[in-house]
Amino acid sequence: MADIKLTAATLSAVGDIDIAGNRIIIRDDLSLVSVATPLGGEDALKKTLTAAFGLNIPAATLSSTAKGMRAVSMAPDAMLLIFAHATPDAEMHVRAKLGGAGYTTDQTDSMLAIEVSGPATMAAMERICPLDLQHGSFGKNASGRTVMEHMAATIIALGDAHFLLLTASSSAKSFLHALEKSYRNVIS
Amino acid sequence: MIIEHPLLGPRDAAEFVYLGDAAMIDRPDGMTVDDTGMHDYMYLRDNPAGDIRELWYHEQGDRSWLVVTRNTITHEITKVELARDVARRSGRSR
Amino acid sequence: MSQPNRIAGGQIDDKHALSFRWNGRNLTGYAGDTLASALLANGIRLVGRSFKYHRPRGIFSSGSEEPNALVQLREGAAQEPNTRATMVELFDGLVATSQNHRGALEWDLLAINDLISPLLSAGFYYKTFMWPKAFWEKLYEPVIRSAAGLGRLSELADPDIYDHGFLHCDLLVIGAGPAGLTAARAAARAGCRVILADEDFRMGGRLNAETHAVADMPGAEWASATCAELASMPNVRMMPRTTIYGAFDHGIYGGIERKTDHLVDSAGKPRQVLWRIMSKRALLCAGATERSIAFANNDRPGVMLAGGVRSYVNRYGVAPGQQVAVFTNNSDGLRTAADLEAKGIAVSAVIDARKGDAVIDTSGRKGLRSLRLNDGRKISADCLAVSGGWSPNVNLTCHHRGRPVWNDGIMGFVPAGDLPPGLSVAGAANGTMTLASVIAEAHDAAKMIACDLGHARGAGKAPTSSDETYEASAIWHVGGSQARAWVDLQNDVTTKDIKQSMEEGFQAVEHVKRYTTLGMATDQGKTSNTLGIAIMAAASGNAIPDTGTTVYRPPYTPVSIGAFAGRSRGKDFRPFRLTPSHEWALANGADFVETGMWLRAQWFKRPGEAGWRDSVDREVAMTRASVGICDVTTLGKIDIQGRDAAEFLNRVYSNPFLKLPVGKVRYGLMLREDGIVYDDGTCARLAETHYVMTTTTANAGTVFRKLEFARQCLWPDLDVHLISTTDGWAQFAVAGPNSRALLSKVVDSMDLSNEAFPFMACSECRVFGGTPARLFRISFSGELAYEIAVPARYGHAMMGALMQVGEEFNAVPYGTEALGVMRIEKGHAAGNELNGQTTAHMLGLGGMVSRKKDSIGSKLSERPEMIRDDGLRLVGFRPVDRTQMLSAGAHFLEKGAPADMAHDQGWMTSVAYSPELGHSIGIGYLKRGGERFGETVRAYSPVRNQDIMVEICSPHHIDPEGERQRG
Repeated sequence: MADIKLTAATLSAVGDIDIAGNRIIIRDDLSLVSVATPLGGEDALKKTLTAAFGLNIPAATLSSTAKGMRAVSMAPDAMLLIFAHATPDAEMHVRAKLGGAGYTTDQTDSMLAIEVSGPATMAAMERICPLDLQHGSFGKNASGRTVMEHMAATIIALGDAHFLLLTASSSAKSFLHALEKSYRNVIS
Repeated sequence: MIIEHPLLGPRDAAEFVYLGDAAMIDRPDGMTVDDTGMHDYMYLRDNPAGDIRELWYHEQGDRSWLVVTRNTITHEITKVELARDVARRSGRSR
Repeated sequence: MSQPNRIAGGQIDDKHALSFRWNGRNLTGYAGDTLASALLANGIRLVGRSFKYHRPRGIFSSGSEEPNALVQLREGAAQEPNTRATMVELFDGLVATSQNHRGALEWDLLAINDLISPLLSAGFYYKTFMWPKAFWEKLYEPVIRSAAGLGRLSELADPDIYDHGFLHCDLLVIGAGPAGLTAARAAARAGCRVILADEDFRMGGRLNAETHAVADMPGAEWASATCAELASMPNVRMMPRTTIYGAFDHGIYGGIERKTDHLVDSAGKPRQVLWRIMSKRALLCAGATERSIAFANNDRPGVMLAGGVRSYVNRYGVAPGQQVAVFTNNSDGLRTAADLEAKGIAVSAVIDARKGDAVIDTSGRKGLRSLRLNDGRKISADCLAVSGGWSPNVNLTCHHRGRPVWNDGIMGFVPAGDLPPGLSVAGAANGTMTLASVIAEAHDAAKMIACDLGHARGAGKAPTSSDETYEASAIWHVGGSQARAWVDLQNDVTTKDIKQSMEEGFQAVEHVKRYTTLGMATDQGKTSNTLGIAIMAAASGNAIPDTGTTVYRPPYTPVSIGAFAGRSRGKDFRPFRLTPSHEWALANGADFVETGMWLRAQWFKRPGEAGWRDSVDREVAMTRASVGICDVTTLGKIDIQGRDAAEFLNRVYSNPFLKLPVGKVRYGLMLREDGIVYDDGTCARLAETHYVMTTTTANAGTVFRKLEFARQCLWPDLDVHLISTTDGWAQFAVAGPNSRALLSKVVDSMDLSNEAFPFMACSECRVFGGTPARLFRISFSGELAYEIAVPARYGHAMMGALMQVGEEFNAVPYGTEALGVMRIEKGHAAGNELNGQTTAHMLGLGGMVSRKKDSIGSKLSERPEMIRDDGLRLVGFRPVDRTQMLSAGAHFLEKGAPADMAHDQGWMTSVAYSPELGHSIGIGYLKRGGERFGETVRAYSPVRNQDIMVEICSPHHIDPEGERQRG
C-alpha cells in the first residue's frame, strides 16, 4: 500500500468569503507552535528567541513580530509563534532552533487562523467580541484571548479593522458561521 | 461582572469560571495532615457578609487562576491577584 | 382619508404620508407620527379594553409609560401583543388591532365584567369561585383563563431574527432629553467616548413636546442641532430607539436597540439587538413621568396626562380633542392650557386643585363627554388633560437594591445615595424639575465625570434656556362620588381596592402590590405607583416616606424573549465540534449523537439493516472477529511538559507515575480531593520531560482546569506546562485480532511484534511514507488494539486510508454504540459508573490508590465509609433466562425481599446485548458483589415494569484474563 499518501483536508476548500467587500480568509498557510517558558528560564528563552528568530517575548496584550514571525502571549508563561510554514514539522523546526530553552507543542492542527478585514469589520466584531477593539484601545499588534459565541478565540490586530482570529479547529465551522452571520447582520 | 485582570485589564465575567473560597490554595500535605485537617480543608468554608477572597479561572482567556477579593453584599471587587503569586506568598512552592 | 384632528406644526413630515390599517380600517398618518398620534389625528379615541373590567380605554400618555393603549402589532407569525401604541413609530403598511375584547372593540361582550365588578375586587381570585369545589377545575378556571391575560400570542415561531453585541464607552448617557443632550455634548467635547441612548426614535425628550427655548432657539431645534453635532463626533455613538433596561454589576448596562421595528419588513436583518454596554461611568437622564389624580371615572377615553396632551399638540401636530379641560394639582398643568390656546384649540375649563377646585366625576360611555366639578358645575369636554405631578424615573438607580427617598418639594421619590457604583443622575430623574436647572445640573455632572476620567478641559459652557417654576401639591384623590376612581389603569386597580387590601390586613407596600396587582404587568405601574403609595399612606395614616416603595427591578420596559435568546436558536443554539473523520462518516452511513458539543458517529448503517441493533451487533462482531476502526479524537488530550512533569502526574493521579519509562503508557486514575473517582484515562511518556494525558470526552475541559489549579495554586514552583492538543491530533482506535496486521501496512518501517511493541507501549512514528504520527498500544475493547494519531489535517485522509488498507481484513468502522457494547463486555467503567459517588473500591481499583505518596484525593479516599468491605462493588450480571433483556437502572433485591430502600442491594449501571455471548449482559454495583459470583438476585425496575432474576458474574464478560489485549 505504499501508493497511499495522506493529503491535508482544509476549510480553505470552502473558499474565502467576500461579503460586500469584507473578506474572511482561511489562513491555513500559517503554522502555530506554542512555546512555554521553563520555570526560571525566562532570561535564557528571551536570549535564544532573539538569537533564533529576532523576536521579543510578547507582552501580555501586545504581540511581537520579526522576519515574518509573530509571537502572541497565550498565558503568563506561554506564547504562540505564528509563521508561514508548509510542512507538518513546524514544531520540530522551532524546537531545533530553541535548543531546549522552551517547551514546544505544535498547535497548527489544534487551531484555525482566520483573517478578517473590510469596512464592516468593526461593526461585525462588536456583535461577537466582548473585548474593546475601538478607538485605539486595541491598536496594531494588540492581542487578546476571549470567547466568541461560546467558542474560545484569540484575536490579534493586524491593522485598522483588520484582524487575525484563532479558534479551535474542531468547532471552526461553527465559528466561521458565527463570523459570517455577524457580517451579514451588520451590512446594509 | 467585570474582573480587572492584573495582566490583561478589565475582562467580562463570561470569560471566567468560578471555583470558590481562595482557602482552597492552602491544601495540607496528605502524608502529614490528620483526618480533621484534611476534612476542614475540604469542607469548612466561611460565608461572610462582606469581603471574601475567591478563586476565578480565566478559562476563556490566559488560563490564569486569580484570587479575587469581592464584597458579597455590594459585589464590589477591591483586589485581583494571580493565584500563583498568592500561593507563593503563603509559602507554597513545590 | 382626512385626519380630522391634525393641526399645523410639530415635528412631523406632512409631505410624507403613510397609510396604515387599524382594526381593518385604512387610515393615513405622517412620517414622524407614532401609532398613537396617528390614531388621535384620525379621531380615534377608543383603542382598547381594560384588563379586568373590559372598560373602554383610550390613549393616556405619549411615551413608554402608556398603560392603556396596548395593541397587537403586525399580523400572522410576526404579530406582537401588548405593544404600546405610543412607542410604535408609524410606517407605511403598518397593521394593528386592538386587544382584550371579545367581539368588536365597540361592543365587547366581556364588558359584563364591569357590571359584576363587586365580585372581582381586590384578591377576588383568593376568595370567590371557591364553591362548589368541583366547579373550579371544570368551569371557573377554564372560563377565567380564556378571559384573562393581555393580548394574544400568535403561537407561531417568531419569524424575526435577533442579535446581541458588546459596546464600550467612558460615559453612557441614558436619555436624550435636555439633560442627556447637554451632558453628552459636554462630555464628548471634553474628549470622552460617549454613548447616548434614548428609547424614542427622535432624541430631545420633553424639548420636542414643550415650547421652551434653549440657546435662544426653540427647544426642539436646539435638540436637533445638538444631535447633529454629536453625530458628527467620532467619539460619540448615538443610539436612538434604544432602551437601557437594566443596571448590572461593575458599570455594565443592558440595552435593547429596536433596529427594524419601524420598518414594514426587517429584510433578513436582526429586528432587535441586545447590547451589553460596558461603561466607566453612566449618567441617568431619564426624566420624569407624569401621574394622574384619582377621581371617579378617571379612566374614560379622552382623559389623558397633561404632558401627553402637550406632546400631541406640540410635537405631533394633533389635537387630542376639540374642547379640552385641564385638571391639575401643580403649576406644570397650566402650561397645557396656554399651549392649546396657542394652537387655537378651545379650552373649556382649567381646574386647579390647589385652589380647591376638583373634578368629581366624568361621563361619556365610549369617550369623555363632560365633567362634574365639586362646585356642582358640569363642563363639556372631549379631552381632559390631568396632571397629578411628576415622578422622577428613578428605576435604574434602584437596580442594585437602592431605595429612593421622598422629596416633599416636588412630591415625588428621588434617588438616594445608594446608586449603582459609577452611576450619577441629572435632571428630572434627579428631582430637578425646571429646564434651566436641569441643563445646569447635567452640564456640571458631565464636566465632573469627564474630569474624573482625565478629560479636564473642553466641556464648554452650558447652553442658556428659558426657565419656569414648578410647584407641586399633595392632592392625590378626589372623593365625593361612589363611582370607582382608578389608580392603576393597566390592572384595573381602584382606590377602593387599595383601601380594601389595607382593611383585610395586606398593608405593607409589597403586600398591597400582590393583593391588588397594583403596579404589575407591562407598564410596572409607571403612572400609578406614586399615586398608589400616596393612597396607601392616606388610608393608613402614615406619611408617604414611611409607606415606602416596592423594589424596582430590570427590565425598565419589557424586552422580547427573542432578544435575550439572540442567535441561540435552532442549529445555532450552540457550536458543534466535528471529528476529523466527520465528512467520511457522513458519506458512509453514520448516524450521529451529540456528546457535549461533539457530534460523534454512533453507528454506520449498511444496506439491509433494519434497525440500529443490526448495525451495532455487526460492528462489534466484525471488530472482535477481525478489525474495527473508531474515531476517538474526542477524548481529551493534554500535552504535559516540564522538568517536574513526572512529579506533577504522581500527585494528580492516585496511582504511582514516577517510574513510567519513556515509550510506555499507563492507565491513570484521578480522584477528586474528597476521594471520589473523578476521571480516568491513559498517560503516555513520549520523552523524558514530555507526556500526553488522555481524559474522558466529557471531562476534557474540567480536568485541564483542575490540572491548571494544581499547577498554579497548589505547587506553583513545579516546572510543568499544560496545553490542550485534543483538536490537534486525529486519533483512531484500531481494534481486533487483525489490528497488528493492518497497522503494519500503515506505519513506516516499525516493528510491531509483541516483543518490540508490547501492550502499553507508545512511540512517535510515521505513516504512509512520511506523515508524522503517534502510536499507542492501548485497548478499551479488550482486543488486541492500538490507537494511532496523525495531525488533524490528515484525519479525513487517514480514515479513508485505514479503511482502504483494511479491505483485505474486512475492516469495519464502528461508532460509539459498538464502543459501549465492547467496554461493557470488557467491564470497563465509563460515565454511567463514574457518577460522582463512586469510590476506587467500588470499581475494584482500591489497590491502585497509592498509600506511599500524597496525591489529590488519596487522604480522604481512606475514610472508613469509602473502603468498607461490605460496600458496593462493580460486578457483572446476566439474565438467568438468557432470552431476557436487562434494564439499566434496575435495583437489586434478595429473592423474596420486599422492594423498598431498606432491602436495596445496589443497581445496574450499564447493559448491552453481547453478540459474542448471544445474550444480554450488564454491569452494576452490588453490596459485597465481589464475593457473590454465581449467586442470583432480583433485578427490579418498577420504571420499566420489569422484575427478573439475574446471575452475578465477573464484570469482565469476555476474556477475563486479558489475554487478547496482550497477545
